[in-house]
Amino acid sequence: MKFRAINRIKKALKKAGYTNISVREKLGGVLLEGELEKYADVLACGRLAVEKKHSRGVINKISVAGYQEKPMRSPLINDKAHEGKTPDALIIGGGIVGAAIARELSKYNISVMLVEKEYDLAIAQSSRNDGMIHAGIDLNPNSKKVKYNMRGNALYDTLSKELGVPISKNGQYVLFTSPVQRAVYPFVKKRAGKNHIPCEYLSKKEVSERIKNPGFNHGGMFFAGAGVVSPYLMTVALAENAVVNGAEICFDTAVLGIENDGEKAGKVITNRGAIYPKVVINAAGVYSDKIAEMAGDGHFTIHPRRGVEAILDKKAGHLTHSVIGRFAMKTSTGAKHTKGGGIVYTIDGNILIGPSADETQERENNATTREELDAVINKQRELTPDMKSADIITYFAGTRAATYEEEFIVEKSPIIKNLIQAAGIQSPGITAAPAIAEDVAKFTKEILANEKTVQQKKDFIKTRKPIPSLKELSLQERDALIKERPDYGIIICRCEEISRGEIMDAIKSPVPALTLDGIKRRVRAGMGRCQGGFCAPLITQIIAEETGIDITQIGKKGGAGKTLCGYTKEQKE
Amino acid sequence: MIYRAIVIGGGPAGLQAALSAGEAGHPVLIIERESRPGGILKQCIHDGFGVIRFGEKLSGPEYAERFIDEVQKKENITLLLLHFVISISKEKGVFVVRTTSKEGITEHRSETLVFANGCRERTSRQVNIHGTRPAGVLTAGTAQYYVNLMGALPGKRCVILGSGDIGLIMARRLTLEGAEVLGVYEAKDKPGGLTRNLYQCLTDFDIPLHLSKTVSHVFGEERVEAVEVVSVDENMCPLAGTEEIIECDTLIVSVGLIPENELAESLGTKMDAKTKGAIVDQNMMTSVNGAYAVGNALHVHDLVDYVSECAKTAGEHIAGEKREERNLLPIEQEGLLYLVPQQLDINSLKEEEVFYFRSACEYKKGELKIYRDGEEIYKKKYAMGLKPPEMEKLKVKLPPLERETRLKVVLEGKNE
Repeated sequence: MKFRAINRIKKALKKAGYTNISVREKLGGVLLEGELEKYADVLACGRLAVEKKHSRGVINKISVAGYQEKPMRSPLINDKAHEGKTPDALIIGGGIVGAAIARELSKYNISVMLVEKEYDLAIAQSSRNDGMIHAGIDLNPNSKKVKYNMRGNALYDTLSKELGVPISKNGQYVLFTSPVQRAVYPFVKKRAGKNHIPCEYLSKKEVSERIKNPGFNHGGMFFAGAGVVSPYLMTVALAENAVVNGAEICFDTAVLGIENDGEKAGKVITNRGAIYPKVVINAAGVYSDKIAEMAGDGHFTIHPRRGVEAILDKKAGHLTHSVIGRFAMKTSTGAKHTKGGGIVYTIDGNILIGPSADETQERENNATTREELDAVINKQRELTPDMKSADIITYFAGTRAATYEEEFIVEKSPIIKNLIQAAGIQSPGITAAPAIAEDVAKFTKEILANEKTVQQKKDFIKTRKPIPSLKELSLQERDALIKERPDYGIIICRCEEISRGEIMDAIKSPVPALTLDGIKRRVRAGMGRCQGGFCAPLITQIIAEETGIDITQIGKKGGAGKTLCGYTKEQKE
Repeated sequence: MIYRAIVIGGGPAGLQAALSAGEAGHPVLIIERESRPGGILKQCIHDGFGVIRFGEKLSGPEYAERFIDEVQKKENITLLLLHFVISISKEKGVFVVRTTSKEGITEHRSETLVFANGCRERTSRQVNIHGTRPAGVLTAGTAQYYVNLMGALPGKRCVILGSGDIGLIMARRLTLEGAEVLGVYEAKDKPGGLTRNLYQCLTDFDIPLHLSKTVSHVFGEERVEAVEVVSVDENMCPLAGTEEIIECDTLIVSVGLIPENELAESLGTKMDAKTKGAIVDQNMMTSVNGAYAVGNALHVHDLVDYVSECAKTAGEHIAGEKREERNLLPIEQEGLLYLVPQQLDINSLKEEEVFYFRSACEYKKGELKIYRDGEEIYKKKYAMGLKPPEMEKLKVKLPPLERETRLKVVLEGKNE
């Protein structure tokens, strides 16, 4: 990296009043060190150190006085279950990126292993987002984000068919928040044209014809290419298909260290034994900078960004059948990192509002607060005044894996020869994941080429038979399926109308769901307005019957997240 | 075949509605989604049911059994179990109800329809509880299912939010089964449950009741580790600085019941924002001709005896031979939390009409008056006081009413 660039950053920091920050080059990136009083200042320094041309990334090691980062939440298990395994490719992270990579790699004659520290797939950000398949309009036309977004958006149609995961592309409305904004349309159109994004200008009249009672109307735009998917179902489907094609998925497995000699990553130490992969793939989301550092190429830093979202009862589904957002002048780079959220008609027919976007020091704090939710409600009510907060059935928070460059890192490491990074994946990560996986597969083949001939498997099974969603079928189809398998006729989750058969299918699926939340992510049982009040005990019993696990050992989540604490006095006697 | 009535729900309301509707021998169908009839009574093993109806204290299952036995004796009443209604429509004056079951998708037809599908519990998310979403946060009804029907304990150190009857009963039940109930918290400044339950479930077991306090936050990633409780003002807004962290492994919420009316709404039934149930006339008929709503689907009752009574009213009307066109008169109300029925069919007025109501707030003394065109035609004094948790019942002999009549029910309360 050029000395001049480092000097420029030093000057910029000094000018902003950050005089005690050391600026050095490391791994082709910019390393910041020092101590500051406030996290906001740490963030400010990180942003000032962004140097896209000459630097591989900002490595922000500035600490906040008196703040100690919490250790990563790790599984309770400690054993040697994976000791000595030697997969060709080891993927770290079971979010949508890791799952998409696993599926892509399972097309080849190589052994694929995915490790995930949590008890199931899509536990972190992959299940904590709005599920949008982005049109790509708000992205920098020359970014990796837009490249993978456009390719990913196009891949979704095939992927949806092959994996049996429904998507819909009902487009996205972006409303102008003031009459002045209308002037930007030619610019937007030109930018959209560069990436072949269809867009349409909407006059005030057209907005009022197409959107029911908008909160404000200064005209807007429509992007037909936008759509929605269930992000967790897609993650599960990708992983299931990978497993069917020979990939191994290991839960409760956290990477605790990676031995590397500065050129090659060797032993990968986990709580379940050491793994010796030929290729290490970093898809560790909000921890991807930590994994990169362990592997010997930590040239970037993740600064986690919280988002809070709420789900409304399907009764509120009349509010919109697509996505409504507002136009924000500055996005992708600079201070604004969200379109301010919006109103999304999810693939399952709920309305989702949000997300918010707030910087946080905590990578894994997914607790919501009343203030954050109220802010989301108030903000989105500006868009649709008809929205009633009484219709909110649940809310959640997630943490996006943002780098200071606000850009994806999808690369074959130039330093560690057998390391591939798919890191810093935030919005539009859901859209981009299948396209990122294509490139990661290409890199993997290149690395493995020295050792073996990597070929496409002839017997790759590209389709996945989805668990039938009985409610979505015609009466005739539904009847026929029940006649074939009577368990499809018995409703367990009354709010979402999910049958016993569907739940049994989830338990017996290629990546078995053995927790209440695992089943919820696969078949939606417990996701309705009663939030599992009626069906949780029934599903607990079904898991017990199907697996032989005692009811007191069945959890809502993994680890200590058991639903029950034991038997009653009477039952014990 | 076309049934005289299809009753949706085989709990106390549905069983009684079916018995009454089938009294004259007409064919009646009960559709129940669970594997056994009895509704929520199945898990209510405490006593106190049936004092009004049978003059004795029964447990929930015992109370239900009396009706189940009756239904099973009737040849004209069919009870379908593990059948779930997926859609309802009205075609040429006939109700078409589609169900899913082990046998497949089935269509059932009837002249009348009774919604007796009960209510669901409000969840922690609906009372603005924030924090994490670990195992160990559950509604009182779910906890009751685990304990009473599965013999399993949902927690060892429990905090209960809500002093409604189910919350109080679960406080006692969990204590008896070896769990520790650290306290019952109530956001309102008055307890929500029946007075007898306050004594029998809390006082007798030394379980503290904290009024004007609510749970605001849950801690713990996988399992509940603690909750934050906070004092609230009269508008239920948290008061800063009053936060207190309580270590526990379980949060049980008993924060109200919501009548389940998604099916009724799909038929276009008009709803009452106060009861969250259908608007009905004195025969429990909804705004849709021939469709009735009874039990907790209509409004949340505190005694099952009244559930049965209300279902009987509907059933008897269905069994009756004469069903003339209705002439509906809406009833105005003042000072009430709610009033059922909300309107009267003046073509089918009986000798006496029954009204159920709850007062809008707690009063030491009260007077309920009914006015016809501004003239007082009925008055009842409540010297023992009135409170919203306790539903009141009135039997009123009404004078002749006209379509143009203005009928108004007014509750005047005093607290001095």
